[in-house]
Amino acid sequence: MFTMMPINLKMALRSLNRNRMRTLLTMLGIIIGVAAVLTMVALGTGARASVEGEVTSAGTNIIFVRSGNYTRGGDSVGIVSGAGAATTLIPEDGEAIVSGIAGIQAISPSNSVRTFVASNGTRVFARIQGIAPEFADIYSWNIAPGNMFTASNSQQAIIGPDLVSQIFGEGVNPVGQTIEVRNVSYTIAGVTDGQAEDHSEALFVPWQTLQDSLGVEHLDSITVAAERAGESSRIAEEIKGLLRQRHGLISADNDNTQSGYLARQGGVGAVPDDFTVETQAAEALTKGLYTPAAAFALANLPKLDEVTLEEMADTLDRASNTMTALLASIAGASLIVGGIGIMNIMLVSITERTREIGLRMATGARSGDVAIQFLIEAITLSVIGGLIGLGLGLFSAELVGWSLGWPTSVSLASMGLAIGIAALVGLIFGSYPARRASLLDPIEALRTE
Amino acid sequence: MSKPVISMHDVKKIYELGDNKVHALRGVSLDIEPGEFVTITGASGSGKSTLMHILGCLDRVSAGTFKLNDKDVSNLSREELANIRNKQIGFVFQGFNLLPRTTATENVEVPLLYSRPLIPAVERKEKALRALEKMGLSDRADHHPSQLSGGQQQRVAIARALVNEPSLILADEPTGNLDTKTGQDVMQTLLDLRESTGITIILITHEPEIAAYGSRIISIRDGLIVSDQANTRPPIPTESPSLAAVP
Repeated sequence: MFTMMPINLKMALRSLNRNRMRTLLTMLGIIIGVAAVLTMVALGTGARASVEGEVTSAGTNIIFVRSGNYTRGGDSVGIVSGAGAATTLIPEDGEAIVSGIAGIQAISPSNSVRTFVASNGTRVFARIQGIAPEFADIYSWNIAPGNMFTASNSQQAIIGPDLVSQIFGEGVNPVGQTIEVRNVSYTIAGVTDGQAEDHSEALFVPWQTLQDSLGVEHLDSITVAAERAGESSRIAEEIKGLLRQRHGLISADNDNTQSGYLARQGGVGAVPDDFTVETQAAEALTKGLYTPAAAFALANLPKLDEVTLEEMADTLDRASNTMTALLASIAGASLIVGGIGIMNIMLVSITERTREIGLRMATGARSGDVAIQFLIEAITLSVIGGLIGLGLGLFSAELVGWSLGWPTSVSLASMGLAIGIAALVGLIFGSYPARRASLLDPIEALRTE
Repeated sequence: MSKPVISMHDVKKIYELGDNKVHALRGVSLDIEPGEFVTITGASGSGKSTLMHILGCLDRVSAGTFKLNDKDVSNLSREELANIRNKQIGFVFQGFNLLPRTTATENVEVPLLYSRPLIPAVERKEKALRALEKMGLSDRADHHPSQLSGGQQQRVAIARALVNEPSLILADEPTGNLDTKTGQDVMQTLLDLRESTGITIILITHEPEIAAYGSRIISIRDGLIVSDQANTRPPIPTESPSLAAVP
């Protein structure tokens, strides 16, 4: 049976070529169906890949804990509100967060200062941030060249690429060079590729070393990474509760009952917090990530700081599911209509070629030979339609993606799927005509005019 | 004496059309020896077509026995009959039945496509070209039927009937679509073929002039053989023009 394939394929192509216009029109349903399938898969996987990509690159699982209170601080309540001026956060707060709250992947205590750095005979003004080695994991840094420092009290530093350009020149490898900050010499251990915020223009040094050189005991901020992005909001709430307790802002017993609306306003009742907790989801949303989808999410979620990634992903999923459902119904309808078209044209073709079938049977074709011949013709018809649809689908996926600003991704597997579906349609809708042809009586068939 | 190619004994064929039973053959007994050129004549409705369908293994007998090359084929399945047609019988039809827009060679190859074991493509083509050569059509091998004359088309069909080296050629009104002159040429081709290969030929016609080419003429009427006699004056093959000269 399979050794007959080349002959059958040749016969099929010849017969389809005989009525080109008819063949093309018959294929139309399959072409549209396959194009819709491909576009659907392209949009679906594109959206998913995009969300996943944003999670890892932008660090949407990150929670910032900062000293001071921007919203309710001020002289009237005796809480310092300016960034860098508040001294309420201490390293022990970080340790308590790690040991007291579940679902935390890593934390990094942090201080930062803007000052002059000197190296290579150049002095430039830059942002210096003290961090823990875990900071590199939190932001998925790739350090190249060089490596992340491993101790929070060493005299090593990680430098952003733009700062490298300013001090050493474009493309120079600064690893091993010495850089001086506030009379402390650091050896440059690596260059970060960090894109987030101003990572590219900053110098990162171990936080304990920086604390010592600044002569401070407090932290400006603690960066917390949740193990799962969707838990950011829950963890943020727990951090608030924990810190209120540690800072004596509220008694432990009524903490949970109070952590509602007022808590999110920067404190409980009359007592303002002396710290600020923020999730990064809100920030990420406003930073042009996945813009139209984000806008959709924003419109549906009134409280920005409540947006967890899970909710955002859910919203995106809903949007992309709607799109997918729409395309799936177009695809389904076109494929069924296309299949019926194929069945119809195969029946016409069999009627036209009844004598040919009779002749083939008279010369020894078995029922199976005839069935296979017409089945292969139907499948050839639908697969050629599928290939044209594939081309159209690549184009329309691109077009839809471009016009909606929706990311698309067409994998080899999805192309295979589209062609597979086309072949399946040919097989299903070609079976009945093929069977009818195979059951013809050779005498009757030869007698047909 | 060699075994007969065809051996029929009291063959009956009854079609049931609703409540009516049509007795197409009412008891035909017939032996045909290898190398005979038998022409079967009869008016339309006489049962000659039914007889030909049974001889061609396209249809089965209702009663009686039919042996082809000493093998009883009366009760074979559809698939088994297809195999027998493929190996042992070559058909020539009134309307040629060539596939359009398909070269002469490919048309001749058709029976080979259904041979088991499978014949490789190269061998198929060789066999087809050899059969066309026998019919003097080597120079028309790549022509489509529409580019050939009626006589040439029928000779392509004869090449197709021959290609699988059957023991029997069954021709059903092979000259019916041809003018008299071309019809005579085709008949001459069949005579030459029998002369050179010793193949058995059974030809069905309603024209007495065509029937006269046979070495044995059988008349059939109302489903029965009414006369069966040797033809003492078959046309003499040597008078024919050479095949290559036939247009």
